[in-house]
Amino acid sequence: MSRCDFKIVLLGSEHVGKTSLVLRFVNCRFSDATPYQNTIGAAFCAKTLCANGKNFNIGIWDTAGSERYEAMTRMYYRGAHAAIICYEPSSLESWKRLRHWLQELRIVEEDCKVYLCGTKKDLLDSEALEREVDEDVVATYSQGLFGHFLTSSKTGENVDELFQKIVEDCAADVQMMKNVEENRVQLQMESEKEKEKYCYC
Amino acid sequence: MEDVLDEIVSSEDLQKFEKVYHEQLHQGNVTHKAQFEYAWCLVRSKYATDIRKGILLLKDLFNSHAEGKRDYLFYLAIGNARIKEYNKALHYVKSFLEIEPANQQVLALEHQINKRMEKEGLIGIAVASGAVLAIGGLVGLGIALAKSTNK
Ligand SMILES: Nc1nc2c(ncn2[C@@H]2O[C@H](COP(=O)(O)OP(=O)(O)OP(=O)(O)O)[C@@H](O)[C@H]2O)c(=O)[nH]1
Ligand SMILES: [Mg+2]
Repeated sequence: MSRCDFKIVLLGSEHVGKTSLVLRFVNCRFSDATPYQNTIGAAFCAKTLCANGKNFNIGIWDTAGSERYEAMTRMYYRGAHAAIICYEPSSLESWKRLRHWLQELRIVEEDCKVYLCGTKKDLLDSEALEREVDEDVVATYSQGLFGHFLTSSKTGENVDELFQKIVEDCAADVQMMKNVEENRVQLQMESEKEKEKYCYC
Repeated sequence: MEDVLDEIVSSEDLQKFEKVYHEQLHQGNVTHKAQFEYAWCLVRSKYATDIRKGILLLKDLFNSHAEGKRDYLFYLAIGNARIKEYNKALHYVKSFLEIEPANQQVLALEHQINKRMEKEGLIGIAVASGAVLAIGGLVGLGIALAKSTNK
């Protein structure tokens, strides 16, 4: 039983910037100062977002990109309502792996809404890095998906927009909203039972 | 809150990795990978006996495979926290933070462990409040007496 209305999972090769994206979104922060630390297994974060006049609790699983964890990170795809697959536009390698991540996801969670995210936009804008992935290729590829965003966790550009779009798409999904309501009722009932257990004190 | 201390491994996943581990064990050659994956499932089980088994496997890895120390410390902390061995869990958290003081994932875990200790401490007091009040009164009296005799 989950206390979150929506589950979002992040996928993508190591070092592409998944954790930075989540931390920017949840804490509105980015830290250049701390050296890169690869995520161990998977990390969880939660935040409330508003869409369609309603508040939604979203739970985010940020999975590790390193191959070492691959067998295990797959387990976190299960039950995901949406997935953000990250790549670095300056790394053709990370783009080529994208297909692999999408396949892995589809094996576990067939109807999850998929969003592509090109990361580290600030580095492209400042020409510190050169784009290796053709924009047209990305546009074509993302047609069958729910969206494509180019974000910077450093400046925050497009980060809130990405998550807002996900929650709006979920809120517009009738079947999904029905499940959310049912889940909430279930939770309410459980927490009442829980209270009864302690009411004598 | 659903989080790393609450999530539970599915029994299929546990069985899948258990099988690989036991096959390798049978052949007398267990890889670090298989042992880690099995231990990782075990510490996320809902049964304390599984978690304890996972902790043993992780300790063994920690002592034999220097490269993965960071992973093993992290899951040793999680495993211990899940069976409410909070002090042991915090010990592993501290060892980790000595190497990577700013690690977000581990800082978040530390925060969660502290929150749990606090919450469970409070529940304990609430349930036994009558008894605690009675003893508290005596202890308070004792302290007051001790203070007055010290003067
Ligand atoms: N300039 C800039 N650097 C970024 C941005 N996003 C991430 N980085 C840097 O890229 C490196 C990798 O970022 P992470 O977020 O840790 O990467 P990850 O995808 O979570 O990596 P794994 O956990 O190993 O899968 C870090 O050094 C970040 O500081 C960005 O938007 N702009
Ligand atoms: Mg990461």
